[in-house]
Amino acid sequence: MNIAQRIKESPKLRTFLLFLAILGPGIVTGSVDNDAGGITTYSVAGAIYGYKLLWTLIPSFLLLVVVQEMNARMGIVTGKGLADLIRENFGVKVTFIIFVGLVLADIGNTATEFAGVAGSLNVFGVSKYISVPLVAVGVWILVTKGDYKTAERIFLFFSFCLLSYIISAVLAKPDWHEVGKAFLKPQMHFDGQYISMVLGIVGTTIAPWMQFYMQSAVIEKRIKLKDYKFALWDVIVGCTATVVVAFFIMVACAATLHKNGLTINEAKDAAVALKPFAGAFASQLFAFGLFIASVFSATILPLATAFYVCEAFGFEAGINKKIGEAPQFYALFGFIMSVAVVIILIPGAPLITITIWSQVINAMLLPVVLYSMIRMVNKKKIMGDRVNNRFQNIVGWAGAVILMALTAILLISQVVSSLKK
Amino acid sequence: MQEPGLKMFLYFSQLKGRPIIDSDGRLRGKMADLKVRLGDLFPKMTSLVVKRRWKKKLLELDWTEVESLNGNKITLREGAEERFHSLEVDTDELLLKEELLDKQVVDTFGAKIERVNDIHLLVVNKDLHIVHVDFGIRGIIRRLGWIKAADFLTNLFFSTRFPEKLISWKYVQPLANDLRNKDLKLNVTVRSLHDLHPSELADIIEELDRANRSRLFKSLDVETAAETLGAVDPKLQASLIDASTAEQVSDILDEMAPDEATDLLADLPEEQKQTLIRTMEKPSREAVEELLKFKEGTAGSLMTKDFLSIEKNRTIGEAIEEFRKITYPLDSVSYIYVTDQENRLVGVSTLRHLITCEKDTPLAKLMNTHLIKIEPDDKVKDVVKLFQKYKFMALPVVDRDNLLRGIITLKDIIETALEE
Repeated sequence: MNIAQRIKESPKLRTFLLFLAILGPGIVTGSVDNDAGGITTYSVAGAIYGYKLLWTLIPSFLLLVVVQEMNARMGIVTGKGLADLIRENFGVKVTFIIFVGLVLADIGNTATEFAGVAGSLNVFGVSKYISVPLVAVGVWILVTKGDYKTAERIFLFFSFCLLSYIISAVLAKPDWHEVGKAFLKPQMHFDGQYISMVLGIVGTTIAPWMQFYMQSAVIEKRIKLKDYKFALWDVIVGCTATVVVAFFIMVACAATLHKNGLTINEAKDAAVALKPFAGAFASQLFAFGLFIASVFSATILPLATAFYVCEAFGFEAGINKKIGEAPQFYALFGFIMSVAVVIILIPGAPLITITIWSQVINAMLLPVVLYSMIRMVNKKKIMGDRVNNRFQNIVGWAGAVILMALTAILLISQVVSSLKK
Repeated sequence: MQEPGLKMFLYFSQLKGRPIIDSDGRLRGKMADLKVRLGDLFPKMTSLVVKRRWKKKLLELDWTEVESLNGNKITLREGAEERFHSLEVDTDELLLKEELLDKQVVDTFGAKIERVNDIHLLVVNKDLHIVHVDFGIRGIIRRLGWIKAADFLTNLFFSTRFPEKLISWKYVQPLANDLRNKDLKLNVTVRSLHDLHPSELADIIEELDRANRSRLFKSLDVETAAETLGAVDPKLQASLIDASTAEQVSDILDEMAPDEATDLLADLPEEQKQTLIRTMEKPSREAVEELLKFKEGTAGSLMTKDFLSIEKNRTIGEAIEEFRKITYPLDSVSYIYVTDQENRLVGVSTLRHLITCEKDTPLAKLMNTHLIKIEPDDKVKDVVKLFQKYKFMALPVVDRDNLLRGIITLKDIIETALEE
């Protein structure tokens, strides 16, 4: 019996290999989740508030798992992308509004990735005016002429660098008792900055564009209904990985920066968090990790966004198509990247602030996408028997409502404080 | 509605949401949808679907109750409001908004999947017919309500307008988007799905979601299904088979060329493969079983048994007769393989011989005896090199005893060579 036959005959081996083969969408999305926006937001949260924001990771995790599971389920049952489903069920006007929001949010997110590129190469003394345009051109060439799939694999491999945060956090010897208490005890302060941090954390953990990406990844793998269990485990593992990394980034920054009263004004300041692990090499290690994460996401984000817009409105799209075959796709991709680059290159642009705010915008857009998803995932016409159960609906609706409430409070407090001036 | 004989074009987006007024001028609801009965080339609306305010349930009204479409509203005949009834949709009826607008359809003219942006209707006397489907960007702009502004601006700056992309209804095959629907609602199309080339159908099938893939595949007749299945990506072949009944699958397997059926079966799990082989009819089953014996990557696994061979003492005229008798599609018509009484390969004759030479010439006289042959165990890449060198359309496969077992065609080699 050769290997192929041996695999066909043994159920245990088949199950394991099937898991590996399907293992993908959730894990990949989980890795992509820890992009420049994520690293920055979690770092800033830890630096400014110490352990006080750790509790937000629990509801974020819960909402993330529920949302990603819905996407995976929708992808498996219908075989259609989220953009397609929204278009088919809500029509042109609603789709248009959602996608205008998505494009704006993703211009912000892409700008964040380039902020990460600028910040990380800044550690090596490279000016943003050189690093950002070079990387942007590099990404364009990679997408139009290069082998994207191999690049994706290389990037994914290097995302292991983020594990250094775990080691660093442990080596920084935080008071684990204090950490545990803060993690399990929610505390809400109703001031603008705190609320925007909460929204930022949620927005970077559950970015709307990732919902579209996740569903596409599931469809591409052609996962069958009977393999749903594997997809579910894949989602749970991916989400857990995301939140675990987020947790340790926050703890590491709290134990190093916050404890010593240091703030993060630019990216290189955040490297201090890796000193317990990397000592003198903290800056370089941090810069390398941030650079990889940023370039990876700077490639995926505008591509994915352009793809979903084209999908929704019936334009040809895909990196396997030439520019002439899919003009709107490449034009949109170029547009998003250009605007993002311009934003970052503005002299004196506050890169950290831009980063945090783009994640807040994600959190503001999320309820809208969440609403359309929950409506669709409850329709028998679309999902057959696989509609939501009560728990999923409660978590979904609660998430949407709470996010909208926090958004409202934040906007009101911004208006109030600017009126006071 | 209009003067008799007057024709007017309308877009569905213009009618959607229009207030429905009864003969006394009272608002009875808003236009939610239109129902059409499939069957004619440009079917006419049979019902108006009404949404009443604050009520979720949709009602329908016979189209004959509609008096006029003038003035941005829909006016009903006297007493029509008494005749609202519950909405019901038969299997040969289609709801335009629910089942067509914003959904994907098969454009049998362009042989691709398109998404419906708007629907073009024609008013003739009191009837409303569906004539075109709008796939273009104008449809999107119109749905957003910006068509006038867009035309003004593009005209002002570029002296042009966004182009129309209307396809006639007779080329449109709607797909289903309710998971509970088992079948497609077939439209009477001028160029039907069956007229598409199998590789066009395969492309379309590969682009569809799982449910519509099976629905479309099920709607094909056995011949088209067999050809299409052979052209579809191997990963999808298994899922299409799973979606069909055992009977359909065995009919298709019998219809398929043995080498394509073999490729299909080889990739399936052992148990399913054996079950399916057992359901096949004897001649096709034997051909497939023989081909399955050969390992992948060898000439034997690529060869087909669809070829013409003739004994060397027969004449050109008899060869032509044999040719006429063949009903299955022959991949290679260029060569006729000439054998001796024991079916050993002795020479090859060409189509040109058949056409140009005297009918009573025996093949032995004309045949080319310098033969390039392959054995079943020869590696595929060596076969590819032979094709590159000699540039034949096909090469014969013989075993150790020189018995003709099958041929390998250029078509099969191209597919294999491109895969590497």
